[in-house]
Amino acid sequence: MSLDRRRFLAGAAAAACWVQVPRFARAKGAKAKGKDYFLRATERPLNYESVRSTFTTRITPTERFYLRNHFDLPSVDVKSWRLKLHGLVEKPLSLSLADLERMPQVTVEAVLQCAGNGRAFFAPHVPGVQWRYGAMGSAEWTGVRFKELLALAGLKEGAAFVQLQGAEKPVMSSTPQFIRAIPLAKAQHEDTLLALRMNGKPLADTRGKPLRLVPPGWVGDDWVRALVDIEVRADEPKAFYYDPAYRFPTTPGAPGAAIPADQMKPMTKVNVKSIVGSISPGDVLPPGRHELVGVAFSGEAGIEKVELSFDGGKSWTQAQLDGPSTKYGFRLFRHPWQAEPGSWQVACRATDSAGATQPDVPVWNPAGYLNNAVDRVTVEVRS
Amino acid sequence: MIRALFAAALAAFAVAVAAGNSETEALLEGKMPDDPAKPLVQGKCLLCHSADYLTQQRLTAAQWEKTVDKMRKFGTPANDEEAKLMTAYLARYWTQDLPPPRPVRAPAPRK
Ligand code: HEC
Repeated sequence: MSLDRRRFLAGAAAAACWVQVPRFARAKGAKAKGKDYFLRATERPLNYESVRSTFTTRITPTERFYLRNHFDLPSVDVKSWRLKLHGLVEKPLSLSLADLERMPQVTVEAVLQCAGNGRAFFAPHVPGVQWRYGAMGSAEWTGVRFKELLALAGLKEGAAFVQLQGAEKPVMSSTPQFIRAIPLAKAQHEDTLLALRMNGKPLADTRGKPLRLVPPGWVGDDWVRALVDIEVRADEPKAFYYDPAYRFPTTPGAPGAAIPADQMKPMTKVNVKSIVGSISPGDVLPPGRHELVGVAFSGEAGIEKVELSFDGGKSWTQAQLDGPSTKYGFRLFRHPWQAEPGSWQVACRATDSAGATQPDVPVWNPAGYLNNAVDRVTVEVRS
Repeated sequence: MIRALFAAALAAFAVAVAAGNSETEALLEGKMPDDPAKPLVQGKCLLCHSADYLTQQRLTAAQWEKTVDKMRKFGTPANDEEAKLMTAYLARYWTQDLPPPRPVRAPAPRK
């Protein structure tokens, strides 16, 4: 990363500190205390979402970044840890952390978002961790280009998918292991990394120590952590967490409708989304000027514009976009709001460079994935 | 409490009050109501994950049946009779109509 970019990031973080960020205070037990940066979804395994006020910086600090786990955290001994790369390759590899650290390191700024972020708001409700807003964050990921490792191993004819597995294990052996796969083309994309670092620091246990896949722009289910095994394959794996799990209908049906299995396909890109971070539902603000700040992002496309509405979506005004554009990361937006007394619903809606925009209501699907409905926050303005 | 004026923020609270129901209140806080099936659920459903996995769901009876079935495939040691009892218990309380769970603010976990 260039020095300019670092300066910009530092500046953005500093700027965000001036913004008055009202406390998330909503219901009993939800009062902010010091470093209560999370809403706990589940205690075991660890599933914690970031509070709304997190979304006022371009880079999400690691200590405020959401936690998502299918199983208990694995304990990885870095010294004896090896990454195995095998399957349809000329030369299978077994690499230590030092081997990977010696290779050229690349940094990519990218959003990691859980497929189920926003699941809590589907009607009818669907089973799964009931994430509200905060199962997402943007970080700088540093590591080795996946395509370099694949080139080192040498691909054999017929290679089409890359299967990934981490060190995490279910409590019982009868529970399916977390196995995923991505198409070879995404693995070979020059921005796809096997990351050793998050925001400049070696990955912690909760972040996938010592190595995780970073397929920028793609949904979190593919960001396999604590990687130990990579298999180059001709076909897709038959594994629960690849099929039937983590699939989205090719043609979504009416809310509640069952979808035939052959119309369910693996998710790839994150869809366009935005969220206001500087206010939270139920906040009471004094009348006057408030700077509204939030983040917008879209899978593999930059953000074209973010619009805000204060009248239930009848009219929209364009927010100002901060900083350089980013293909995979959060783009900060700002809007000076002259708040008059009353009850206000602030809505925000992003449009990406491919012209995709956010729907009014989430596109219903059986597992509650990819909720990118227009964000709406109701606040009270009075002195 | 002034914030109580905000319908959106406290819809859940309002429902609980309207029902005059401390049981609903307890459910929203993630507690499991006493019931002959409770020890069964506690004994079988908390082997791999915490109870909040269950208590945050808002599902139909059919969705609960499917979920219990899935958990048996994952390894829950329960026979058909026990599965039926657990499903009935879960479907009785954690319904589609139950208001959302209370958000619990927390620091980063110490692992
Ligand atoms: C053998 C281990 C195990 C047992 C025992 C178990 N579960 Fe689960 N359960 C899981 C796993 C693994 C998940 C998925 C976790 C994740 O991906 O976050 C899960 C997820 C869930 C979910 C979220 C919805 C979903 O389908 O992912 C619910 C609800 C749930 N379990 C309920 C139950 C109930 C009720 C029981 C008892 C009948 C039970 N579990 C017993 C392993 C288990």
